[in-house]
Amino acid sequence: MKILSSYSIKGGVGKTALAVNLAFALREAGRRTLLLDLDPQGAATFYFRVASAEKFRMRDADSLAEGLRRNIRESDFPGLDIIPSNLGYRHFDILLDGMAKRRKQLRKVLEEFKPDYDVILMDCPPNITLLSENVFRASDAILVPVIPTVLSRRTLDQLAGFFRDEDLPDGMLRPFFSMVQKRNRMHREIMDDLPVSYPGFLKTVIPFSADVEKMGLHRMPLLAYSHASTAAMAYRALCGEILSLAGP
Amino acid sequence: MGGRVQNKESVRLTLPGGFGPECLQEEWDVDIHPQESQTLAFWDTFEWGLWFGGHILYSSGGAYHLCAREGGWLGAALCEERAGTRRRFWRDFETGAMRARLERMLGLRGLAPVAEGTFRLRRCDVRNSVGKIVCRLEWSSVSAGKRRDEDLLHSCRVLPLFGYEAETARVVEHLVRRGARTSGDGPVETLLRHVGRVPRKYTLRPVFGLEMDTPAREALGRIVCAILEIAERNVPGIVNDLDTEFLHDYRICLRKARSVLSLVKDVYPAEDTRRMRKILGDLARQTNRLRDLDVYLLARDEYMGLLPPVLRPALEGMFRDFSTEREREVRRTVSKMRAASTRRLLREVAEYFSPETHHEPSPAAGLPVGALVFRRIYKRYLKIRGIAAGIGAETPDEAVHRLRIECKRLRYLMEFFAELFPKEEGAEMLRLLRRLQNRLGEFNDALVQQRSLMNYWEQKRSGSKIALGVGGLVAVLYRRQQQARGLIDEALEGFCGGSTAAAFKHTFKQPVSN
Repeated sequence: MKILSSYSIKGGVGKTALAVNLAFALREAGRRTLLLDLDPQGAATFYFRVASAEKFRMRDADSLAEGLRRNIRESDFPGLDIIPSNLGYRHFDILLDGMAKRRKQLRKVLEEFKPDYDVILMDCPPNITLLSENVFRASDAILVPVIPTVLSRRTLDQLAGFFRDEDLPDGMLRPFFSMVQKRNRMHREIMDDLPVSYPGFLKTVIPFSADVEKMGLHRMPLLAYSHASTAAMAYRALCGEILSLAGP
Repeated sequence: MGGRVQNKESVRLTLPGGFGPECLQEEWDVDIHPQESQTLAFWDTFEWGLWFGGHILYSSGGAYHLCAREGGWLGAALCEERAGTRRRFWRDFETGAMRARLERMLGLRGLAPVAEGTFRLRRCDVRNSVGKIVCRLEWSSVSAGKRRDEDLLHSCRVLPLFGYEAETARVVEHLVRRGARTSGDGPVETLLRHVGRVPRKYTLRPVFGLEMDTPAREALGRIVCAILEIAERNVPGIVNDLDTEFLHDYRICLRKARSVLSLVKDVYPAEDTRRMRKILGDLARQTNRLRDLDVYLLARDEYMGLLPPVLRPALEGMFRDFSTEREREVRRTVSKMRAASTRRLLREVAEYFSPETHHEPSPAAGLPVGALVFRRIYKRYLKIRGIAAGIGAETPDEAVHRLRIECKRLRYLMEFFAELFPKEEGAEMLRLLRRLQNRLGEFNDALVQQRSLMNYWEQKRSGSKIALGVGGLVAVLYRRQQQARGLIDEALEGFCGGSTAAAFKHTFKQPVSN
């Protein structure tokens, strides 16, 4: 089982669009996939028309695993399940803080889902907290959407700095360009330049697309309603690239 | 503990005709997909090995599909295999998964078509107020044959999506209020019933419904009739040469019927008994050669395995000869069995033992069967002990052969009348008897096979290569015979030893009477 996360310190960069469409592409590729929506905003949950998770008490790793398990919902697409978001997740930090080996608890909880899934994909809230650190330590790869702008570059550098400070393996960071407008000169320049400093940069590029924005109207992944659009193909290619990195 | 608990239990409903999934639209959004229609041909063995093994096999669109059976419904698909030609035995299948599953359930049995039905299916998605699918439906109807005929059954399978079980239960409740039922035959069972092919267990050991005081003639008549009926049921399978088990069972039935008549004497007039036994013997004899050939050909792989690879090609010619002879022998046997004379003889025996037939009186006809048979069983057991006592390492093979025949007779007696003695004690005595019989059988098979191989070679006087193969095989079989002989003593001890003897005495010895 592989654990992937969709993460960015900065909001509005296409993080949830990645989580939702990558999850769909993974089940298309035959991987039993569980999407775990950790973002209290619950956008991924909304896209799959699933209600918020029921509240549950999180005292320790066992009760956390049990609560998550009770909240698994089968999506409309066979092979893809979702654990919906819950405002209560904002207390994750406090919960984890109270546990022994608090920085590795999430991995232990997710290991319990191993028999049923090939991939767990987490959609993470855009901040750096103890939860984020748990996410980093639980993941096999952290997928970071980067809009080719100066500000995005700055936040990526910040994240890399955090990884260095905390002795996290920086090979886990897998940035890729998101919401790219090929005609924008600044986008082109940054795209030429930035990957040089990040050897883990993924090659697939997700273009900006009005189709992606319509996900809110359709309330389903782009790949489900616009199967052959350019952006859908790009997500599928990204999925292929990630699977080739991660092994089977 | 696993993550997602896999409890996706679907609910199966049978429906009254005349309402469709549209009835759910009062409360839910229902996407109804276009109707699919498929004609399925179902396959099983004479013994319904797949059905009673919890499976259903069907072919459709050039492929065989093996599914789990859930009551009378098609369950989860387990494996499939594309096939250009018809498959009969498990060996005819090519994929490993299919072969492994079928071997267990088919054994030597062949597959035959049991029914054909056309299934029409409408898949539906049921959505809640925000448009999320909460369950899927498979709304279907079945009719017999290929054409759209009269619908035999309407049914619906409700598949909950994980995490939406409560909402699914509401959908089911709604359908039940409209007349759907959670019980009733499923579509496959309904189809089978419609075409008159209700699966029923097949056994060579039926229950005869005997009591200790059933008059002997009535008891014997019932036994012979039941056994002859089983023999009759096997005839079509022999005539169509579907598999080798039909002939095997047919012969067992004839032998058993013949045997019971001599085991319990004086129940019918002696002259009649002789005639019936002769008929049954003649009928069985017609099929001797075919059965021999079946046995050789079934043992082909085993024989090959006994020889080093370099000698195996030498035997190919022999098996080719057997195969050719078998084809001839099947034709001969089938025409014999179809012949009016054979049919007449079988009918004569059946009529003789039918309850309506009037017979001349005979000494034991009215005696209570229990005491009569128990005396017989005990006497035969003592006889076996007597023969066994004389058996040593130097005893000629003939004595061992006699012992084998006696054991077989005792076994038949005990099996015919098993209803009359306590189950548990009987089971233990029969277990020990079976073990002894197996040892004796191994010994005898090795002996008989050597003889028939030598016979084959003498008739053919074929080239040195075949002689080498046959010689090699005979040597191995002789070794096997000796080993089997060594094991007989131990089995004899178990069957003739003190505790078994006590059990026989306790169960079967009758108070002395005149």
